[in-house]
Amino acid sequence: MLGLTDYLWRLLPANPILVRVVETASKRKRDLIIRCLYLGLLIAVVLFSLGTSTTSYSGMSLGDLTKASSNIFENMSYLQLGLVALLAPIFTAGAITQEKDSQTYDILLTTPLSNGQVVLGSLMSRLFFVIALLISGVPIFSVTQIFGGVAISSISLSFLIAAATAFVTGSLAMAIATFKVGTRRTIFSFYMFIVLFMVGTFLMDQMEYFKIGLIDPLTGKPSGELSQTSWLTAINPFLALKAIFHDKRYMAPGITLLPPNLQRFPMGWMLAWPTTFYISFMFFLSFLLVMPSIILLRRMAQSTNTIRGFILQKLKLSTGDKTRKPRAVWSNPIAWREAKTKASATRASFLRYGFILAGLIAAFAVVLFYSRQMPVKNWVDRGSFNAAENTLYIAGNNGGTFMIDPARVQVNLGDQQKNVSILADKLQVISFQIANMGKQRFVSVIDLKEIPRALDEATSRKYLLGLVILEAAVILLIITNAAASTVTREKEDGTLDLLLSTPITSHFYIWGKLRGLVSFVLPLVAVPAISCAMFVTYDLLRWMGNESQFKWLVLPEAVVLLPVTLIIVSAFAAILGMQMSLRCRTTVRAVMSSVGIMLGICGFLGWCGLAIVEGFRGTDSLSLAFASFSPFALMAILVDPYQYGGRVFENSDPSEILGARVIMVIFGLIATGVYAAIVWSMYKSMVKNFDMTVRKQSR
Amino acid sequence: MAAVIKTVNLTKRYGSLVALSNLNLEINEGDCFGFIGPNGAGKSTTIKILATLLQPTWGEARVCDYVVGYESRKIRPLIGYVPDYFGAYEDMCVLEYLEFFAAAYNLNGPQRTKIVNDVLELTDLGYKKDALVDGLSRGMKQRLSIARVLLHDPKVLLLDEPAGNLDPRARIEMRELLKELRRMGKTIMISSHILPELQDLCNTVGIIEQGELIYAGPWTEIVNKAKTGRVLHVGVAENQAQAAAILSQDPSIANINTNNGYMEILLNEGVNDHTFVPARLIQAGFKLTLLKEEEVNLETAFMRLTKGLVQ
Repeated sequence: MLGLTDYLWRLLPANPILVRVVETASKRKRDLIIRCLYLGLLIAVVLFSLGTSTTSYSGMSLGDLTKASSNIFENMSYLQLGLVALLAPIFTAGAITQEKDSQTYDILLTTPLSNGQVVLGSLMSRLFFVIALLISGVPIFSVTQIFGGVAISSISLSFLIAAATAFVTGSLAMAIATFKVGTRRTIFSFYMFIVLFMVGTFLMDQMEYFKIGLIDPLTGKPSGELSQTSWLTAINPFLALKAIFHDKRYMAPGITLLPPNLQRFPMGWMLAWPTTFYISFMFFLSFLLVMPSIILLRRMAQSTNTIRGFILQKLKLSTGDKTRKPRAVWSNPIAWREAKTKASATRASFLRYGFILAGLIAAFAVVLFYSRQMPVKNWVDRGSFNAAENTLYIAGNNGGTFMIDPARVQVNLGDQQKNVSILADKLQVISFQIANMGKQRFVSVIDLKEIPRALDEATSRKYLLGLVILEAAVILLIITNAAASTVTREKEDGTLDLLLSTPITSHFYIWGKLRGLVSFVLPLVAVPAISCAMFVTYDLLRWMGNESQFKWLVLPEAVVLLPVTLIIVSAFAAILGMQMSLRCRTTVRAVMSSVGIMLGICGFLGWCGLAIVEGFRGTDSLSLAFASFSPFALMAILVDPYQYGGRVFENSDPSEILGARVIMVIFGLIATGVYAAIVWSMYKSMVKNFDMTVRKQSR
Repeated sequence: MAAVIKTVNLTKRYGSLVALSNLNLEINEGDCFGFIGPNGAGKSTTIKILATLLQPTWGEARVCDYVVGYESRKIRPLIGYVPDYFGAYEDMCVLEYLEFFAAAYNLNGPQRTKIVNDVLELTDLGYKKDALVDGLSRGMKQRLSIARVLLHDPKVLLLDEPAGNLDPRARIEMRELLKELRRMGKTIMISSHILPELQDLCNTVGIIEQGELIYAGPWTEIVNKAKTGRVLHVGVAENQAQAAAILSQDPSIANINTNNGYMEILLNEGVNDHTFVPARLIQAGFKLTLLKEEEVNLETAFMRLTKGLVQ
């Protein structure tokens, strides 16, 4: 018994790896600054929420106070989880390359420390800072207790969700490190996987496909209603968190509302109590990821081959021979290296072409679904209405050819009365009334509506926008990573000094890097542009078909403005990444800080743009002009103007819409010019300071 | 002969640490200059300044009469720098690596192909041209480094520990390659801890300690300078202490140290004939097991100089 206690004591509390980190952590200036920033942000959110809730608390009822309190809690919880989701990969990703980077790793393995001590010590020392941050936020969260309205259990769940997220992230990084499936490049893939998983599952949660069809508990038959939460709520921390706020629009269904086959364990638990399921599942997953690392740590360290290499050799895709046919080098070797060697690496090619293919297929699928009209009982089409003979052919089951009197017939499209000319369009006939006049049968009233599509307009726009935003985010992450690692990797490899002793100038070097990055990323930028172009082409075909109810699905100017905006934002990401790469000593630090800054800037600009469109509702043109300066808001308005373009797109005055579009194009181009000027000045400053910055860091 | 490398009061500080202090150095065209010093003495810093990678804090460094810092762009095409580590692009093969750096020196088209092939032949790396750089052995990598700096036919080679961590065969091959380069008329500045090889390769050497140049000049001179008198190593079968006592009475002998089984006998200056030592011992009935005059080479000179035996 004493032996077990001693073992457990040494496993974590007295683990020398952890103890070293805990002892030194509080002394590091960087940690102190991050901690202050984190707490500062939490305090700012509390003050902001208090300030916006009301101007005076004296006249508020207890109910209002509790509502304000739960509002503060909600905002703080989201911020806390967002920061943990952002910081946990940053602090844990380093584990992936610990073997390569750290000279101490091999030494640790030769000590009497057990595998468990090494793995858990390494994991906990990386998570220590994040956990310490979480704990330091407890006093601020307790502010909500002053007003009431937030249960302690909700606060505990919010902290547990954040902790579970940090643990699973750290355990995944440890598993990647132990099983040698990662290199320095994996750090970025790891980060991107986590971001894409969170963003992807969050967006997918909106789709009905992932909702659960509920039953009527009394009859046991389907009630026709869908659940508000989805299958994904239990695996996404933000959705799991959303489910604890008792928001009437996002409540987990009671277990009795689930179909009987889903009421059983563990499905019932997952769907009816997604928050507790998330916490338990993520801790369990962490355990599953850590255990093989503990068991196989030393055995894997002794292996000279990587799992990837082993698999490739078994599949006879690689001989293990380290030779390759040489490629022709460009006259600008820097650009060649950035563009060719990175792009042509098997993994990069696979990812790049995979991204292009997946993006285009997804866009094509949305166009296809949008263009596909659902089968209807009765319909009219071009040629149905014969104006010369005043006849109307109604196709379908109860149809036939009828007489029509254009002066007397009542044609309804939805709740609007229309002219008979609309009968030349392909429309669904909901109902029609026949009046017998002598031997002839006249159509007296006909109710029409658009033929439903496999995907309606609003959903198609939503999907396309989701696709474009996701693609833009991936492109920006890729270019930020590539740019941020470009100089630091040369510093780490020791090749930068070699280059600096050649006649290559700073201008040539940086320009070569940028040129290479651009040619690497340009095919990717084309994907969202082509996706929009597919819709615009389809719209043009509809327009040429003289559809009288024609309304652009995607504004055609998106085909020009979207790639221009994306290129300039990518250039900004590239130059920012290179700046960080120049200043930071290690790739991990450069990548993580660049990605963090880019996420912050894009999030802030996107939020500002959309808030402006929402806020300036009285002066729409002005709001659109301002919103054009926010790249992500501009993209959203271009792709889905009716949802994000404000009041002007909600009314149907074509001249007003046209005016708004012209303003958007003009200010979009002006914004591009402004961003281009910023990028250019950053580039010039980098060229100017390159020598000084790099030589300062020369080892 | 014109000085290809010249430093005047060259000083480099890293914060409060003085890495170089008033270094005055001249290396003539065609010289092979061996730069010797303990770890942290300032060798790499000097080479990095000459390679235009660092700015001096004070003083001046010139390469081919161009001033480092002001005319670095003119210096770079004239030098070839091999650092004390191998800078490898992990995803390039040997031919690409050389073509990459050839392009960095503005060598393009058929000229580049020809030069790269010539250099591969010279360094005997032709059969490895498709091999990935990352998979090469340490010796091969060092040879590839030399191949890299030969691409643009530089006048000056700055080599920082090129033979460090190499196995004996790779070291000998490297030495032969450098001898060949010297025959081609290159001015070479090489830092190394393997002193016998420097003695074999270089005509001049410089000894640096704690950022200060202790000596610079032909290595033969430094060896002579390090000689403090002739030293004999003498061994007897038994009674070494008695033998030492007998010899110590001789006025030609300055000092005797008894070592592990043999005596280290320092003769007085001006004593050129040492035959009296064995004669006296045999006369006293001792059986000689060792009689050898100590050879003063670069290694011993270095040890004596850097230990402060000679100021």
